[in-house]
Amino acid sequence: MKRTGILFFPAFDWSLGESHPEREERLLYTQEQLFEEGILDLPQIKQYSPRVATLHQGLRTQAIFPNPGSYKDSLDPHLIAAGSAILLGEARVRGDIANGFVLARPPGHHSGATVWGNRGFCTLNYEAILVNHLRARFGIKKIAIVDTDVHHGDGTQDIFYHDPNVLFISLHQDGRTIYPGTGFVNEKGGPNAWDQTLNIPLPPGTGDEGYLYVLENWVLPRLKAFAPELIINSAGQDNHFTDPLGAMKLTANGYGRITELLRPDLAVLEGGYSIEGALPYVNLAILLALAGEDYHHVHEPQKQDSPALSLAALKPYFEALKHQHQTIQPRFTSQSKTYFPKGKWIYNPHSIYYDTEGFQETRHDYIRECSECGGTVYIESSLSSQKSGLVRIPFQACSACEQAGYDLWDHLHHHSADNANGLLQNQLHDKLTVWNKKEGLSEF
Amino acid sequence: MGGTYTDAVFIHDNHIERTAKVPTQSDNLVETLMEAFDKLAIPDEQALNQITVSTTLVTNAILQNRIPPIEMLLFSGNGMRIDALPWPVSYHELSGEMDFRGRETEPTDPTEWEKLLTLHLRENPANVAIVGKFSHRNSLHEEQLATYLRRINPSLRIAFGHTWGQANFHRRSLTTYLNLGVTDIYYDFAQQLQSAISARKILAPISILKADGGIVPIAKLRPIESIYSGPAASILAALTQNEPTASTIIVDIGGTTTDIGLVLSGVPLLSSKGAKIGPYSTLVRSLAVRSIPVGGDSAIRTTDQGFVLESYRLGPAYCLGGTLPTPTDAMRYLGLIDYGNERLAEEGLATLLPVERRTHECLQELASAIIDSVSEKIAAAVDSLKQEWQEEPAYKVWEVLHPQESHTFQTLVSGGGARGMAVALKKRLKTSVLLGLYPEVSNALGAAMAKPTMDCTLHLDTYMKRYRVEETGEQGTWSGTLRPHREVESFLDTLAQQMAKSYGMTLEDVEKEPFDFFPIVKGYKTVGQIVRGAVHLRPGVIGRIHV
Repeated sequence: MKRTGILFFPAFDWSLGESHPEREERLLYTQEQLFEEGILDLPQIKQYSPRVATLHQGLRTQAIFPNPGSYKDSLDPHLIAAGSAILLGEARVRGDIANGFVLARPPGHHSGATVWGNRGFCTLNYEAILVNHLRARFGIKKIAIVDTDVHHGDGTQDIFYHDPNVLFISLHQDGRTIYPGTGFVNEKGGPNAWDQTLNIPLPPGTGDEGYLYVLENWVLPRLKAFAPELIINSAGQDNHFTDPLGAMKLTANGYGRITELLRPDLAVLEGGYSIEGALPYVNLAILLALAGEDYHHVHEPQKQDSPALSLAALKPYFEALKHQHQTIQPRFTSQSKTYFPKGKWIYNPHSIYYDTEGFQETRHDYIRECSECGGTVYIESSLSSQKSGLVRIPFQACSACEQAGYDLWDHLHHHSADNANGLLQNQLHDKLTVWNKKEGLSEF
Repeated sequence: MGGTYTDAVFIHDNHIERTAKVPTQSDNLVETLMEAFDKLAIPDEQALNQITVSTTLVTNAILQNRIPPIEMLLFSGNGMRIDALPWPVSYHELSGEMDFRGRETEPTDPTEWEKLLTLHLRENPANVAIVGKFSHRNSLHEEQLATYLRRINPSLRIAFGHTWGQANFHRRSLTTYLNLGVTDIYYDFAQQLQSAISARKILAPISILKADGGIVPIAKLRPIESIYSGPAASILAALTQNEPTASTIIVDIGGTTTDIGLVLSGVPLLSSKGAKIGPYSTLVRSLAVRSIPVGGDSAIRTTDQGFVLESYRLGPAYCLGGTLPTPTDAMRYLGLIDYGNERLAEEGLATLLPVERRTHECLQELASAIIDSVSEKIAAAVDSLKQEWQEEPAYKVWEVLHPQESHTFQTLVSGGGARGMAVALKKRLKTSVLLGLYPEVSNALGAAMAKPTMDCTLHLDTYMKRYRVEETGEQGTWSGTLRPHREVESFLDTLAQQMAKSYGMTLEDVEKEPFDFFPIVKGYKTVGQIVRGAVHLRPGVIGRIHV
């Protein structure tokens, strides 16, 4: 029997604040709906219980600054969400289930390669942690992530921007109209992973018809061409017409159809804050679609008060967007420091705003251009006066990039005057070393 | 009561004074019970304090499909297709829908109701079960339809889904159906039994054992809750012989079936899902028990690879005059038990071997392999039960960070095959093994020593100003504050006291679950709370049996 795994972790005792959208109540009605429908009694559904991810699993993908210890308590719910994704991902890879749904709080897709706190309700990026875990432990090479949250999956993009073996596709409400304000077609990937990031910004008011059109005519062909071993769906539900944060017009049935078309190996809940009008129905539709059951009888009680944009009106927009996407050429700046190992280093300075915490991180990213592998990445990250560094030796790194990584790491913890913390993310050998000016080196 | 035999036990001051065993007459259970009762020859019947019965009446009625016709009327609403889950009964679907907070999202349509009115429904005292999706949140539609039907035919017997207050529309529907379907059979039985006891001027109250291992006064039982009281009784019997806080694997080896249960620090493990009986999934709370089709009398046949343990019995063991070898013959041959004919055991086992291998050594090897194969099956069921316990879903951060503590288990083996299997189980389960006492009356012993159980789970929505009690389906109006704390505790206490009183029990050793508070937010303002809390009287026994 084709089995569908579900890991339902509503974190009923955790919130980002009593009236915060990310609060205890968020999945309460989803639980009521799923239990009342009896969906867990379907013979093909197997429920799993949550697990806590280790810091090793987190640090393999994300640098947690200034150090993981500084978060001790508040990381727990995020580590459970990540651990739950890993548990279901392992079940999928082992063949215990044909697909699965990680229906957990809190969300994660705004959390990037470096983490100083919570932004966009996210602290750890659990799709990304899952993806790298499956690569490290099961030798999986090519994975695609399709992010269908209304917000651009900027954190996931940040983590895999230089990774030629992860295809990241995000469909979202146009960044000019919604948080986090990114995700335009020109963001197509780093020098070694050009065209492995696909952003499709959609105009507010796009409904089922327009969304599914883009999926069938752009996303699915791109996925097919990439031929991934696994497809992960960041299944945010804030495209629903009742969502208080988004301005899209999708229905629960639309989400069922998205799931049916994408056929993800794993769907992972991200955002979605219409906790009564949308979540119980959208979650039900997604789970039914994954389980191969009819979702067409799932109807949210509320009706749309105005129609979605028509496909006729949207088509010219999509055509123009696609044309723009095809014609964009890579433009990278190269720059390096005196102590950098030899090679061509692409430089990308930018800043990241943590809306939940109200502070800004400054980043200087350097990528070693490489025709053989994803290229070693060096990130200088600072929050006010605190400076930290991340050195990432990628999966399947070539020996030149691996050596470049060790050289940079050596410099970081021996000779750099201004850095206080560092992480060596050796994905090639799954070795993680944390450095702290006071405490020295430690392995995770 | 079991399918074949009915056991009885008379207990005084935690001493077993008398035991009895009579064959079960499946067509006259009351007579069987009274026969067993008589066989106990209790010296002063009128001085009895308590009579407890565990009966297969309801289980058999369901499994033998002795359920009268019932009109099943469903407000099935939107969502998952109704036929995604199996419905072993026919039903009518009607318009009208509630949402997860009990708000009406679609009204009922009385024009549909007229079409339901067959001659049978108009004139006979027909059985009707009415169940709505989310009716446990709001019983309005169920009540509306019942009022309509009763106006046309006051003699109808109507059962409501909302009285089974747990979520799960499918299970709630089938539970409502089954409970209504066995009501007559059960009340006839209860009345006859009560009269038979009263006729002897015995005033002791009669209780019935439930699937959750608790007892309830005979007149208060919701009949469907008496299914699977047999396996529950085996577990309770083990509790009467244990240290009060021990963690125990309980293995009751019968002729064809072995029941396996878990006791954690003195408390039997409850199944996280409702019981399933025949084709029906229900909301009935039951102890987590695995019943596997293997026992001392399981038939053994030869195959190309050696032998296979069948899941059925074909008469008694070879050494007891049967025609096929069984695990009992293996136990006898190895000298693990002292009943049965040793020579016949050897003869029976020999039929499983080719003529040239019928040596003492080969027979020894075969007998050990048979015992190991039985213990392997038992161990697999123990592992699956432990897994169910360890993998219970967790919905809170706290629960995940504080996983189930590990327990050091002992194993208590009872039943006919206990002595023969003890050593093999000790080796395979890697625990100490105790032999249960009184294996011949363990069901009666468990029933006699059972305590009452009670659960009272409150759901309160202060914004909707509604509360409900899961176990009784009671729904009412909340007049308290929007954000109650102390208030809700005393409210739950009062509800629990009322419930206890209605069952004629006192609340002692009550376990209180911590309350869950969910702030309800509208437009970034907290406008109320959803509060969940519960008190439980867990299953257990009134004392330990002194030998």
